[in-house]
Amino acid sequence: MLNFRKTLSALALSVAFMGAHGALAEGTLRIGMTAADIPLTTGQTDQGGEGMRFMGYTVYDALINWDLSSADKPSELVPGLATEWTTDPEDRTKWTLKLREGVKFHDGSDFTAEDVVWNLDKLLVEDSEQYDPRQSAQGKSRIPAIASYRAVDDHTLEIVTKEPDATLPYQLAWIMVSSRANWEALDKDWEKVAASPSGTGPWKLEAFVPRERAELVPNPDYWDAERVPELDKIVLIPLPEPNARSAALLSGQVDWIEAPAPDTIPAMEGNGFVISSNAYPHNWTWHLSRLEDSPWNDIRVRKAANLAIDREGMGALLGGLMIPAEGFLPPGSAWFGEPEFKPTYDLEAAQALMTEAGYGPDNRLSVKALISPSGSGQMLPLPMNEYIQQSLAEAWIDVEFMVVEWNQMINLWRAGAEDPSVEGSQSINFTYFIQDPFTGLIRHLDCNLIAPNGTNWGHYCDDEMQSLFEEIKTTFDPEEQVKVLQRTHEKYVDDALFLMVTHDVAPRAMAPKVKGFVQAQNWYQDFSSITIEE
Amino acid sequence: MAQVEAELQPQAEAAPKPQGYWSGVLGRLAGDKVAMACLIVIALLILSAVFAPWLGLADPYRGSMIARLKPIGTEGHILGADEQGRDMLARLIYGGRLTLFIGLMPVVFAFFIGSALGIAAGYVGGLTNTIIMRVVDVFFAFPSVLLAIAISGALGAGITNSLVSLTIVFIPPVTRVAEAVTSGVRSLDYIDAARASGAGALTVIRVHVIGNVLSPIFVYATSLTSVCMILAAGLSFLGIGVRPPEPEWGLMLNTLRAAIYVDPWLAALPGVMIFATSLCLNLLSDGLRSAMNVRD
Amino acid sequence: MLSYFLRRLILVLPVAFGVSVVCFMLVQIAPGDPLTAIMPVDATAEQQAAMRAAYGLDKPVPVQYLIWIANLLQGDMGRSIATGRPVAAEVFGAVGNSLLLAFSAAIIAFPIGTFLGFLAGYFRDTVLDRAVTAISIAGVSVPNYWLGIVLVIIFSVNLGWLPSMGAGPGGSQDWHWDWTHIRHLILPAVTLAVVPIGIVARTVRALAGDILSMDFVQALYAKGMSRGDVLRHVARNAAATALSVMGLQLGYLLGGSILIETVFNWPGSGFLLSNAIFQRDLPLLQGTILILAMFFVAMNLIVDVAQAAIDPRIKRS
Repeated sequence: MLNFRKTLSALALSVAFMGAHGALAEGTLRIGMTAADIPLTTGQTDQGGEGMRFMGYTVYDALINWDLSSADKPSELVPGLATEWTTDPEDRTKWTLKLREGVKFHDGSDFTAEDVVWNLDKLLVEDSEQYDPRQSAQGKSRIPAIASYRAVDDHTLEIVTKEPDATLPYQLAWIMVSSRANWEALDKDWEKVAASPSGTGPWKLEAFVPRERAELVPNPDYWDAERVPELDKIVLIPLPEPNARSAALLSGQVDWIEAPAPDTIPAMEGNGFVISSNAYPHNWTWHLSRLEDSPWNDIRVRKAANLAIDREGMGALLGGLMIPAEGFLPPGSAWFGEPEFKPTYDLEAAQALMTEAGYGPDNRLSVKALISPSGSGQMLPLPMNEYIQQSLAEAWIDVEFMVVEWNQMINLWRAGAEDPSVEGSQSINFTYFIQDPFTGLIRHLDCNLIAPNGTNWGHYCDDEMQSLFEEIKTTFDPEEQVKVLQRTHEKYVDDALFLMVTHDVAPRAMAPKVKGFVQAQNWYQDFSSITIEE
Repeated sequence: MAQVEAELQPQAEAAPKPQGYWSGVLGRLAGDKVAMACLIVIALLILSAVFAPWLGLADPYRGSMIARLKPIGTEGHILGADEQGRDMLARLIYGGRLTLFIGLMPVVFAFFIGSALGIAAGYVGGLTNTIIMRVVDVFFAFPSVLLAIAISGALGAGITNSLVSLTIVFIPPVTRVAEAVTSGVRSLDYIDAARASGAGALTVIRVHVIGNVLSPIFVYATSLTSVCMILAAGLSFLGIGVRPPEPEWGLMLNTLRAAIYVDPWLAALPGVMIFATSLCLNLLSDGLRSAMNVRD
Repeated sequence: MLSYFLRRLILVLPVAFGVSVVCFMLVQIAPGDPLTAIMPVDATAEQQAAMRAAYGLDKPVPVQYLIWIANLLQGDMGRSIATGRPVAAEVFGAVGNSLLLAFSAAIIAFPIGTFLGFLAGYFRDTVLDRAVTAISIAGVSVPNYWLGIVLVIIFSVNLGWLPSMGAGPGGSQDWHWDWTHIRHLILPAVTLAVVPIGIVARTVRALAGDILSMDFVQALYAKGMSRGDVLRHVARNAAATALSVMGLQLGYLLGGSILIETVFNWPGSGFLLSNAIFQRDLPLLQGTILILAMFFVAMNLIVDVAQAAIDPRIKRS
């Protein structure tokens, strides 16, 4: 510990001498991203949640946006380019959306219902002139409900879904609306649009060097006066290597980094850097195989495993930057409900359950688990999984790991538990978005989405669960829908359908001069309120 | 990493050896204090790597949350503990196994394959020579670091893939040297005499050629070992060599990078090991070269 | 001279062909589906097939090669799978940045290496010689990716003197030869220079030593020439060999900078290559390797020709 302190104070001393760094123009915020490249700029972004955060909800709007204004409650949907949306009580597949009037794209053209149709064609209609395979690859799978759409008038849009689906608004929150006039002006060439894109968002892309940097400047005419940015400029810099990111922040080359390595956090705080974090809909679990021969079919084993993990202890690994799981969704989620089963640390109870299930110190259970040494959003997968391995061993469960690279892991995640490529693994450690009813709950356990048709990796299929999913989709009253979602989540937890471990808290480290940031409980963030105090 | 390249420039020349050659070499080598010191260091590294399980070390795979990033000199962890609380001394010694294995084996493979190709090309000549040497030329067109990274990058991480890519990198230079020395020996009078006496090609190669060309090729190959080791560790450092959680110096250097803000000394240890080993390999190779009277 | 150049050029063509085959094969030996990385996690089989067709990955291998080489000859190296941008534009931009770094490292390494080597060669078997030999052996033995990290810790994080990453406040497209930008170059260039310093010093030492021990040098002394004149004489004689070593080193610096560029986030070809590897962006991997290898082939050619120009004896051999 002594040595550690010494290092810290040495660092503090040295950082004090760092004043000589060239200060940029006032009000410029330089952000080190974890992505290896600038996310796709043409509208529908790539690079996962980070892409939407920095290049989606900044330059663009969705018809229905996420509310990013509060740090205290889980964020909800709010009007974006659509001001209201309703379904026809007679025919629940028919949705009418009133679009915001007087909105202009950055290129000056007007936003109309035709633009939305044009944007949906861009993603869904392969023989349309504006079809863009790259944006389509990112956006198409996000709006599975949509069957057809048309512009009723300049500011009214009609969408018809394949079957009644109350989750459509959540799906639409994925879709970024880019400017048709801009695309036409740039010879209908998405390549050129990438260099000077045009959306309706609070930020405009001003300059863009692939793989190196992107510069965003405020859109003073943004339709929501509350969200007109205070800063002069945001500079986005891809810094995929965690140490390069830390070094860049500590040496004053950027003002803000995403996901600082946990081990560097004490050094940063010691030097006056601010660590911002908050709950957000992220999940770190093991998905369990429910194939016939899987030991995880026994609810006692599932519960025992959940009770064997000291989640607080795991926090040490992550510098405390985690939220121990209390269920499948993060605690505080509006859909959490009141599950009876509490996945806390209780080794005795775990051992009792294992004994009941027929296991013991001399009759240990062996399981095979798929993990990856890295991957986006995976936190620190190796040490965390090794910690779980040690914990489960106490409850007489011996874990053998199958370690594969992240890209291969994605393939195995798509392939499902039955595929020969998983080599009989009975669980997979995968992390993801749980932002809406579909990504949060339905896709993991829906009978129709059993891998490889979807991401129900473990081949789970249960009538009761399936009818809950139906009910979510057909409950159009938002408050009632929340209740259904709560019942669904209660079943998730009470049946211990996953090894529920932890939630990330999206840590970001920033220089003390960065003021006014409100970290929403969301994958996306609002940068409009931020200022730089020199 | 450009050190690879200088070493790759073939420079050895062959000469028929007088009697008592090897005892002379050993005698001269024994008199070279620096080379002997290096030989001892490397022998110790190899021995400790081979006998690691019997040295009473901690389990290099088993971590402990409490022991995370303990500094050098902690009781129970003389060289500290890594980011997962695994004993550094154990990891460094066990790490020597993989690092040395992947660092040395490709040169051994390349020595055999490259010698065979080069001797065949040099002795047979003609079309055989042209085909072999033109293919070698193609691989020579790639800077070796680039070639290793390209092949490993395409194949993906893994011990076998690293061995394959590094062996491919080192075959061409060995082949070139082997071809050059064999061509030199081939034109010597006594080989002509042997051939004139009606001995078959294989016999002539076995009896007269191999004995004369192997030692310069061997000396050349030893000069590649340090480069190969740095390169192998570099692949792991990039994340396209050995996979975690295996202990390997390059990989340890990579995973400990985050700890550099907590304890720079601890994080620097694997790099020091790579540096020291490669330094010894270089000095030993130099010593061997001068002991064998092969020109610089 | 011209005929020599043309003869060498013709010899280069089959090598260039071989290089293109090797680069093409890189994609073929790669396991797995190169499109995995860019598809959303829940993409359907149908979407995946459509993407595969869009990238021409559904055709037989020899056909893919012919298409690839035909496009290549027209300057089209395909599109990056990860970014959708043309590979040629990405690679040439990055190679420019790598060249900048490689030349800077060469400017540091060659004079220092030559000077040290010359000292050691001239004062052979003295303390000076031994010191230089130690430095050069240390130089060729140090894993420079590790040295880079150590330098960042000391000079960026602890002392705060030099930046730790990037090519300047405006990125590489905004490069200027002013202090704001050169600061970014110093650490990576110095790190990269360490190895060639060792190699150049070793080579020059051997050369100088050899030439000084030759008969004609003794003769020059005997004729009563001054030390300075003798030195000049020796330098000219060593120039051809030294030039070839340095020329090749420059090529190697370009190819070997991948690890250093990764450590310093320098937006060069090595950095591009490591991104390509981790995103499994095979067209980009292929294109980067091809351009670097071709550059290296060209560098070899130039060195050969230049060497022949300085020392005509080489041409005849």
